[in-house]
Amino acid sequence: MKTVFVRQERCVGCRHCEVACAIEHSKGKGLLSTIQEETKSYPRIFVEVIDNYLKFPNRCRHCDPAPCMQVCPTGSLYRDEQTGSVLIDYLKCIGCAVCAMACPFGIIQFQKIQKYEMNREVNAKCDNCIGRLEEGRIPACAEACKTSALEFGEANDLIRIARTDFTSRMITSRGSETEVPVIPENIRAFQKVMEKLASLS
Amino acid sequence: MTDQEIRAEAERRASDRTDQEIIRKTLDEGVQTVWDRFALQQPQCGFGQLGVCCNNCAMGPCRIDPFGGKTSLGVCGANVDTIVARNLLDDLSVGAAAHSDHGREVVQVLLETAEGHGQGYQIKDVEKLHRLATEYGIQTDGRATNDIAKDLALGILEEYGTIKNRIQLAERAPEQTKEIWRKTGIMPRSIDREIVEAMHRIHMGVDADYVNLLLHAMRTSLSDGWGGSMAATECSDILFGTPTPLTSITNLATLSREKVNIVLHGHNPLLSQMIVNVAEDPDLKRMAEEKGAKGINLVGMCCTGNELLMRSGIPLAGSFFDQELAIATGAVEAMVVDYQCIYHSIPLTAGCYHTKVFTTSTKGKISGTIYKEFKPENARDTAHEIIKLAIENFPNRNPDRVRIPERPMKVMAGFSEETIRKALGGTYKPLIDAIVAGTIRGCVGIVGCNNPRIKQDYGHITLAKELIKRNILVVETGCSAIACGKAGLLVPEAADLAGEGLASVCRLLGIPPVLHMGSCVDCSRILVLAANIAKELGVGIGDLPIGGAAPEWYSQKAISIGTYFVSSGVYTVLGIPPKIFGSSNVLNLLADGVKGITNSAFAVEPDPLKTADLLEAEINRKRKALNI
Repeated sequence: MKTVFVRQERCVGCRHCEVACAIEHSKGKGLLSTIQEETKSYPRIFVEVIDNYLKFPNRCRHCDPAPCMQVCPTGSLYRDEQTGSVLIDYLKCIGCAVCAMACPFGIIQFQKIQKYEMNREVNAKCDNCIGRLEEGRIPACAEACKTSALEFGEANDLIRIARTDFTSRMITSRGSETEVPVIPENIRAFQKVMEKLASLS
Repeated sequence: MTDQEIRAEAERRASDRTDQEIIRKTLDEGVQTVWDRFALQQPQCGFGQLGVCCNNCAMGPCRIDPFGGKTSLGVCGANVDTIVARNLLDDLSVGAAAHSDHGREVVQVLLETAEGHGQGYQIKDVEKLHRLATEYGIQTDGRATNDIAKDLALGILEEYGTIKNRIQLAERAPEQTKEIWRKTGIMPRSIDREIVEAMHRIHMGVDADYVNLLLHAMRTSLSDGWGGSMAATECSDILFGTPTPLTSITNLATLSREKVNIVLHGHNPLLSQMIVNVAEDPDLKRMAEEKGAKGINLVGMCCTGNELLMRSGIPLAGSFFDQELAIATGAVEAMVVDYQCIYHSIPLTAGCYHTKVFTTSTKGKISGTIYKEFKPENARDTAHEIIKLAIENFPNRNPDRVRIPERPMKVMAGFSEETIRKALGGTYKPLIDAIVAGTIRGCVGIVGCNNPRIKQDYGHITLAKELIKRNILVVETGCSAIACGKAGLLVPEAADLAGEGLASVCRLLGIPPVLHMGSCVDCSRILVLAANIAKELGVGIGDLPIGGAAPEWYSQKAISIGTYFVSSGVYTVLGIPPKIFGSSNVLNLLADGVKGITNSAFAVEPDPLKTADLLEAEINRKRKALNI
């Protein structure tokens, strides 16, 4: 199973993933053309923030089974078996937002879809960049991320790294210097200063 | 928002009671302020915050992965140290340019005044003119004031050029300090040259050595502190008078219910001081009465406010974060701005009320404002016209939307270096004796701005209170001084909050434990103060038990100030992290490596109580080295 794995501690909040996502889902697929299109393309990934130092890039997890699919009254949500992505038949969507109520991550947003020149807003959540996946490319958000906060790959492989990291942290508390992935001293110092600033108010 | 939520939010945003009252009004009326825009900007880009983003050339923008990933070089090949150091030098140069270009304008007006072109200007402090002329080797005996002033103005304008290769004002530093500058190769050569050279070095393919870049940053900052800023201070004193202690009032309650309120905001006293003079015109007063007002109420804001308070005792409405709040009282007929620290959205705020905003500098136009260009040859006419337009706007005030807080705070200001020296009897010996005896442990300059990352004024006030409690004398400039003014620390009675030793000295001299030394260019007064004390002791500035702090800084000017403090030997604590954490090498050099050169360094500490600990430890370290 391939997924976009999030390493929260590496997110610097640059929102490059949001920009890349909006461009990928636009008509022209270029930065300059995207901002001029009449029906705006909005990001389907959201960098949420607390106190300006805790950031989390939140996007559809393509759950299986997917609560949104289970509750959709019109069957507009379906799974692409090949990539495991949860996709939407926009023409079937009635905008009832029941999917959004069921979504454990709160990432469903309603937008007009350019391709169909619709006047109504439909569930326009992350489609895992299905077109790119079919071409053997990775999702736009993961490609845009320069700090590896978003990584696309085999879930188990990526989880293994996170697990090693966790184990290392456990060992660190017993005196080991090892830590994977390494957060450099200077970045730690910065995070500490920002945390302190936030705590002052 | 419920009333309770509004109250809590106002308390989260600002420390001062009158600020909180008007913040509540903005929340109630839906008027956007700096805090709202800050919230809308979250999250802010971490690449930018760490200084690892380079947007200098068209091969970029580039950014380095701060976690050590593959993206370790910009397209041009610059590594993280180069990019961080280059960005810092860029920011610093912008700050130095702001101070120094402001200074140049004051010198130019001095020249035009001397030549008889300046409308309404005169040389007010002839004694200071003579003192500076002597420093510049200009003959004063038997010569007309204007002739001396002309030679001096031309002499200082030369400091901006490239022929002379040295800055006369920097000669004021103690020999030991200058020796460090010479040895390290950071002795400033000219005010403009260092800034231009900085721009050159930042260009792709020039300076890639972070140490070399940072050394030039230090030299550029010195050209500001001991050059451009000092020129601004000295020539403003010559034109408008050297400040002497006086009392006035501060906070938003300085706005008047019955009079025409004109807020003078920005940094340069050239036009605002003229407005102060012209406002005395009986014709204008009569005109105000005809429009139903009981007169004209001038209040200052930011550093223009500090300049006017220091010399003329004009009430100070507030600091950087108060510009929107003043308008939101609904009682401001005109806000006159020159430049620096003016929100570009100020016409939008003014548009929510009847306030007219006047821009006056050809360098600082803002669309949506009324532009009345300031020129020395018609300064008085321009001032007159602005006041007239403000008066005509008075009937447009909507009394139903006016809310002016009660009870302004009393302040004592006007502590120029000359005044402090005079108060001590013409020599620093009494102060030095008190420091040697330990009655006063040392001295700290708190400077800088407001920043929405920290509750307005919390850092300034908490740090100042904590330091005076520990018998450390505090001198202040800029928005820091305004913060402590609003908090009641700039009055002699505040000695009650100081430790026993400092309190006794303050009571003896009748001065506050926190001294208001002026605007942000007046940080140069702090340098002169430190230099004169050091010279009297026969040591360098780096040997003195003193420190600096900028608990709430935001501006590039503050980077230049902090760096010329450190380069002059003053340990400086920043409350907001500068954009350098992306490079361990840059971080280590500024926090540690520089100690071996100047016997001072930077530290970053947001908590004002811990900042006080750091400054006290530094003061104790220096005291020990001096055997006191």
